[in-house]
Amino acid sequence: MDLIRKLHILADSAKYDVSCVSSGSSRENTPGGIGSTFSGGICHTFTTDGRCISLLKILLSNACTYDCAYCINRISNDIPRATFTPEEIVDLTINFYRRNYIEGLFLSSAVLKNPDYTMELILKTIKLLRIENRFNGYIHIKVIPGADSRLIEEAGMYADRMSVNIELPSNAGLKMLAPQKSKEAILGPMGYIRNKILENRDDIQRAKKPVYFAPAGQSTQLIVGATSDNDINILKLSEALYKQYNLKRVFYSAYVPVSNHPALPKLTKPPLLREHRLYQADWLLRFYGFRANELLTNEHPNLNPILDPKCDWAIRNLHHFPVEINKCSYNMLLRVPGIGVKSAKRIIDARKVSTLDFEDLKKLGVVLKRAQYFITCKGKYYPGIKMNEDFIKGNIVADGLKTLLKTKNISYGDYEQVSIFDLLQGNKSDLGSCVNFNNTISIGVDIWKYVYDSLTSGRESIKKQLKPLLS
Amino acid sequence: MVCYTYDGSFEGLLTAIYEAYYRKEKPVKILQEENLQPSMLYTYIHIATDIEKSQKVYNSIMEKISEDALDNIYHVFLADREYERGTIIYNYLRLGWKIGRNIDLHLSDDRVMKVLKIRQRVEREVHRMMGFVRFSLVGGNIYYAPIEPDNNILPLIAPHFAERLSDQKWIIHDKARELAALYNTRDWLIVEADLGKIPIIDAGEKHYRDLWKEFYNSVAIKERYNLSLHKKLLPVRYWRNLTEKN
Repeated sequence: MDLIRKLHILADSAKYDVSCVSSGSSRENTPGGIGSTFSGGICHTFTTDGRCISLLKILLSNACTYDCAYCINRISNDIPRATFTPEEIVDLTINFYRRNYIEGLFLSSAVLKNPDYTMELILKTIKLLRIENRFNGYIHIKVIPGADSRLIEEAGMYADRMSVNIELPSNAGLKMLAPQKSKEAILGPMGYIRNKILENRDDIQRAKKPVYFAPAGQSTQLIVGATSDNDINILKLSEALYKQYNLKRVFYSAYVPVSNHPALPKLTKPPLLREHRLYQADWLLRFYGFRANELLTNEHPNLNPILDPKCDWAIRNLHHFPVEINKCSYNMLLRVPGIGVKSAKRIIDARKVSTLDFEDLKKLGVVLKRAQYFITCKGKYYPGIKMNEDFIKGNIVADGLKTLLKTKNISYGDYEQVSIFDLLQGNKSDLGSCVNFNNTISIGVDIWKYVYDSLTSGRESIKKQLKPLLS
Repeated sequence: MVCYTYDGSFEGLLTAIYEAYYRKEKPVKILQEENLQPSMLYTYIHIATDIEKSQKVYNSIMEKISEDALDNIYHVFLADREYERGTIIYNYLRLGWKIGRNIDLHLSDDRVMKVLKIRQRVEREVHRMMGFVRFSLVGGNIYYAPIEPDNNILPLIAPHFAERLSDQKWIIHDKARELAALYNTRDWLIVEADLGKIPIIDAGEKHYRDLWKEFYNSVAIKERYNLSLHKKLLPVRYWRNLTEKN
């Protein structure tokens, strides 16, 4: 098989791993060596689906011995198979790197023969790169669940980042769709890597010539929409992974139908909006000081499709608002919809030398369209804003809906047609699982339940805002 | 009204700013001579570049304002498609000499925000180009990359590649400005260049280009296809010089 065909097969099989991040490591070039890493990461190009390509993301092999239902490489799937030699991977990486196509290598693999055998090949590849070729670019490797911990330990000396994919957010899902993997086989190596990184942190302070263990930390991926797990389960899992396993990133991957296994949902499109909302919530956990149980509760186990999670939190917690921009703490500024980390920092800076009004906020990059309902400047509300629950909710829900209707690539969960007419009649029993809007976008049932509930809540101002949108 | 003009160099601009403080005729604008669009409203005074005077301004920015401020105006200077950049820098510095090192806290002042916004734009392009530069191996074992950026960013990206690809000879050619950064495995420098005749690529080079294109096309997920997002992240004006897009 020629190299181009192999590359096609093994890149195609690797593409469902969404992570292509090259950040978190600042490896410098060595004399006579090639490459360096950039702590913020660098995107070298973008795919036609709008994802960053930073690393040469390939599988070592897609000839898997496992049979996980959600995975395209499962043994029972009839697809072409290929396996790279370590030398082939090294040649591709170095030559792509010299042309500035990539930041480095992201090497993963199906389970070839057994976990140890696969892990040994991965290790051989990255040692060839780091030692013989003096390669100092970014290397992200996937740890093969079930591989011997000695192999994992050695690999950590050469890799910048290591990751173990959880894929399915719950044990039940794992049992049903990936019977050969267990929670222990996944969390075991994760805990092992965490401990190694912590030990290493102490060691390098004492060592004269420090050897770093996975300096860019570890990450994982969860598939969204292949099982019936709620967003609250997913988000709580992420929260625990960040806190207990010190993960740098949790990636969410909208399930792309690659199999017609009876236990899997029949999706026509991946649930991209849900994936997007999970990423927003993930950011709130990592950079905005939110906890998972503030964003979601057992009564509201799923993220709101119409509103971003911060807006949704804010309208459920109106008693915290409005806040005065010129006095309010940094942590509270971060909780205001329309204010991000950057604009919050700018407010804190600018506040030191002058008192801010709404015009100033606009210049600082605050999105007033959202923030206007939640803030005062010099004790005054934004002109025309009423601090009244109906008014705020009606406007925000209508804005959220407008944004959704403008977006072309929406899909949220299952599909079944319902007419807008039924919705306007307030016929809840006729609500199917999806509404097709102008034949261009399909939106899942959750959104329409939300709109329906808003319409029938008897609150006039909300009705007034929403009706024109739907007619 | 008076408008100073300078030769387009950073030192020239700093000299003009020096003169603005010592001459009787105070300028309302400072513009580059090249591409000047003269107007009846202005009296134009040409300021000849004087390295000593520019050095004085340089030191004064460092001492009386801040290193950050110097960095800011250098970035704005490199945004060479910004017609008013000289005036923008002049206004910012005037405020800086009045306020001192806290100038960048005055975010609600347009003179400051304008400078910071342009800087952000330039930095964003620098970061983009660290990824979008595409080298081809040409004759003489030299890696050659053509670029056409919006800003004059060669001096900001050359150090990055000199560190990263330190063992290979390379040329980054800014076709829009006819400038080139050259690196010989030890030092880099920027020269004026008309590299009309770049050797044609050979079979070995084509091999890796084809592999790269194959990889690029294989990793896209067609179920997630999103052209508008794609174009937002990878603006069409850069496609010409991207191997995978040709």
